[in-house]
Amino acid sequence: MPKKRVIAIDRSNKEWKEKIISSIIIATATVSSLLLLAMLLFILKESWPVWSQIGISSFLSGASWRPLGSPPQIGILSMIVSTLWVAGGALLIATPLGFACAIFLAEFAPPLLAAVLRPVVNILTGIPSVVYGFLGAAVLVKFFEVKFDLASGESLFAASLILAIMVIPFIVTNSEAALRSVPLEYRYAAMALGVSRQHLAMKILVPLARKGMLGALALAFGRSMGETMAVLMLAGNILRLPMSWFAKGEPLPALIALELGSTTPGSLHYQALFAAGLVLVLMVMTVNLGINILLYRLQKGGHTI
Amino acid sequence: MKKLVHLTVLLIALLVLGLFAGCSSNEPGGENNAAAKEDFSIKIGGSSTLAPIIAQCADQFTEEYKTWDKVDANLSEEPIVIFVSTGGSGFGLKSALDGTFDFGMVSKTLKDEEKEQFADGTITQIGSDVLVIGVNADNPVAQVKPDMSTEDLVAIFSGQVKNWKEVDPSLPDRPIVVAVRDLGGGASEVFDNAIMKGTPISDQALQIPSMGALAGKIMDNTDTIGYVSSGLVNQNPDKIIPISVDGISPTLENINSGAYKVGRPLLLVSKDAPNDREQKFLDYLLSETGLKVVEEMGYIPVAR
Repeated sequence: MPKKRVIAIDRSNKEWKEKIISSIIIATATVSSLLLLAMLLFILKESWPVWSQIGISSFLSGASWRPLGSPPQIGILSMIVSTLWVAGGALLIATPLGFACAIFLAEFAPPLLAAVLRPVVNILTGIPSVVYGFLGAAVLVKFFEVKFDLASGESLFAASLILAIMVIPFIVTNSEAALRSVPLEYRYAAMALGVSRQHLAMKILVPLARKGMLGALALAFGRSMGETMAVLMLAGNILRLPMSWFAKGEPLPALIALELGSTTPGSLHYQALFAAGLVLVLMVMTVNLGINILLYRLQKGGHTI
Repeated sequence: MKKLVHLTVLLIALLVLGLFAGCSSNEPGGENNAAAKEDFSIKIGGSSTLAPIIAQCADQFTEEYKTWDKVDANLSEEPIVIFVSTGGSGFGLKSALDGTFDFGMVSKTLKDEEKEQFADGTITQIGSDVLVIGVNADNPVAQVKPDMSTEDLVAIFSGQVKNWKEVDPSLPDRPIVVAVRDLGGGASEVFDNAIMKGTPISDQALQIPSMGALAGKIMDNTDTIGYVSSGLVNQNPDKIIPISVDGISPTLENINSGAYKVGRPLLLVSKDAPNDREQKFLDYLLSETGLKVVEEMGYIPVAR
């Protein structure tokens, strides 16, 4: 009888603890979402004069950026287009390589090779972006100038290449985790049916893991849109609207990093840079939201885990 | 497990405390201001060009003397504290006027109405930042046309002239790569005042995030023309060839006499006459050791 009572006390103690922990977690989550909201409100407040005086459409679609000219012209179309070229291009290069690498690591790699490759891929995520940018500026730019006899080697393509190397590890790690989390029953069932390893990987595991793999892509896209240092050093930073992947351009993070330091707080230039920041944040959020909606649709559509 | 819970609670408590602390320090508190009255520190803020120079001098000054009574026996035995923060020349001017800083760091030529605002205080020049128009040593323009007129330079930097052949028929048929600092920054303002005079820079010009990288671009790429801080040209005499403007080359004599115009003064401004401590630091900046720092950082120290 006494023993039972001890257990009962223990249980209520445990419940109590769980309540505390869950309320802490809820509090932390609330605080961090409030922080995000506060940040958005702050950026909106700092950039408000731009939206009210110049207007959303002419700010977004104006191709001329001369914030200090008289009269000042502030339009960020060429920066938005540059951002999309750079980030989209990086994904174009990184997606096939990243997915292939993830499938190889999860299904085909001999254990020894995987044990070596996996930490290497993980270490790649930890290299500071300024190092990548520096490497790109020292090696890639020079390479383009010499190899293709260009007057100057900076281009959106060069920035995309370096960004691709930076986001491949994200794609690999997250996609591999998604592939591994497919329940074993599917594997056993496939083996029982005697399908080949290739069929198992491509026709069974990948479709089942597509949710996680798409999530990996969303993460990679967000990261490559927001990446600053490498892009700043490689994209060339010219103010002209980029008409191709191989043109130069100035993505939004590069614009903000380049100019914010020399603005006077409260000036139109300063407010315009905040407005550009808001546009960047909203772009990244839209992509994440879009992918989430897509995933939700996919899930409703049927056969996923 | 229990430990983990304790730790989490502690962390959250710290976080919440931090948030409250953050809020309260933003409030215009009476206590803080009262404490500041007894404050012996010197606060300096403004131009990011000047900040490294002043910070370096402040470090040396503090290391050397440690307390004010060692600087001058008449001063009290307080430790020397000098704060240096950046925020741009405009911010330096504004904060020196509203009293946030004792000195504002300004790296641009002051307009007359701006000078008036500091009529009761001081405007001290400690040096100049001179921009040199430079080309790669392997570019034949260094021999063919080492002197350009302002009109030539405007044509090149605004993008009207796009090919070296158009600059001089004997030059190779290669595109000109124009490299500039971020438009709107201090250096490009100097260049605009001295050369461009409002003509917009070509939209094909590469905007390079730092002076060092701009010098590197000129050294790496034979087709590049750009403006560089004079210090960087002096450090790489065989790799960057300076171009004279309207016949005036960027030599030390021409810079000090004011004949070479592509530059800006490095100034410290204060709203009121500096107190003893502030004056001592100003004297230190203008002493041989202080001006040596100016030179080491790649700028032209003010002539003593």
